[in-house]
Amino acid sequence: MQGMGQFQQILWAVNVAVGVVLLALLIARKKFRAFPAFTGYLLLNLSQAVAFYFATRRWGYASRNMWLFGWSSQAVVTLARALAVAELCRNMLARYHGVWGLAWRVLCGSAMLVILYSGFAGRRRWELAFPALDRSLELSIAAVIVILLLFVRYYEVVADPVDRSLAVGLCLYSCFGAVNNTILDRYLYSYQELWIILGMLSFLASLMVWTWALRSPQSVSRREEALLAPGIYESLAPQINLRLRTLNDRLSQFWNSESPRR
Amino acid sequence: MNLSMFFFIGVVAILLLLLAWALRGPEKLREPQPILNGLQEAGRRHVNFLPPIQQALGKTDYEYLSRRAPKALVRRVQRERQGIALNYLSALRVDFKDLLRMASMIARLSPQLAAMQEFERLRLSIKFAWRYETIRMMLWAGLAPLPQLNGLSELLSALSVRMETAVKEMGEHAALAAKLASSLDGHDIDAAL
Repeated sequence: MQGMGQFQQILWAVNVAVGVVLLALLIARKKFRAFPAFTGYLLLNLSQAVAFYFATRRWGYASRNMWLFGWSSQAVVTLARALAVAELCRNMLARYHGVWGLAWRVLCGSAMLVILYSGFAGRRRWELAFPALDRSLELSIAAVIVILLLFVRYYEVVADPVDRSLAVGLCLYSCFGAVNNTILDRYLYSYQELWIILGMLSFLASLMVWTWALRSPQSVSRREEALLAPGIYESLAPQINLRLRTLNDRLSQFWNSESPRR
Repeated sequence: MNLSMFFFIGVVAILLLLLAWALRGPEKLREPQPILNGLQEAGRRHVNFLPPIQQALGKTDYEYLSRRAPKALVRRVQRERQGIALNYLSALRVDFKDLLRMASMIARLSPQLAAMQEFERLRLSIKFAWRYETIRMMLWAGLAPLPQLNGLSELLSALSVRMETAVKEMGEHAALAAKLASSLDGHDIDAAL
């Protein structure tokens, strides 16, 4: 491809090959049924890579058209990734109706807050608008996955190892994407080439994590949990919180010997 | 590096730390009690050890010892008192964790959660964890002042009365707990605990 270094070309080819293997695994193991949005994201990603090849041949690597094409297709792929993350959240928590009811509100709220805050915190230059938007989305995706895994830990939810690995791969890729875009924001053109190589490398690492997670032929089971009768939570939760508060009070007495003894 | 760069890289670093923490294996405490025993006993197990703790931390005993015994013995006693305080702290923590696990299990299997109750529990957990670690470090380093430990016996007496009252109240909810246990099959309870 015109203007692309040899190492970059090799990386591009390896990424496409591993992506195809992963997609084949998803189809062969019939796991695309459990992860339709994730499968769609991978398909879009591969399509973007192929389209990128033809676009480079037509417009050249460093053209304005290529820049616009690159960022607009990136926006579509990032949104597809956000959908894959939403699917993952649902897969992991939707069996637990109460937890899911609370979690999706917290997750959506956190995502919006991160997008807004990183939008305000970034530099305001028109040529950086796309990287800044991409960074906001990456950060919010990473934040949502981290909060999801915190929910899983806090409520001691038994998570499927495949779900966990997909979440880790998505989170690491988003974290890296956010850092990469931040450095691009600072050094712009001098960093552009390295930015692309690092982005490809981090995506390759995530592809490896996902391929490893999906290698086993075991199907993913989503057993519905037997829920408690309504009313039990309402009566027990305040009692348990009261007891927790009492234990905290005991600790407070340790903490502050000067506080009045009760 | 400019401020925005610091901000974004800092946020990513925090996210990665939280990710690592969230992926960590569950903490290994002692074997949990069955749910019904857990509900009635949680938060009061250490009450059984109150009399020896009270005696060990008694102010008069220590003062008497300080006047009569050699310094080496006084130091040894002080170390042992420190150990008792640390053990008591650990017992509080075990009780706290048991309650949290029970609350998590109930929340997980409930059709609807009250956000206020959940955030309150999260707030209490963070507060407890922070204080527990600080006090433990202070006690371990010998930085906790002696009057604090001397006051512990009075504190324990007062709190044991409060705990007995609270436990009595909890007993009224035993019927609800039985209902809870019957709503679950054995496998779910084992998996949850």
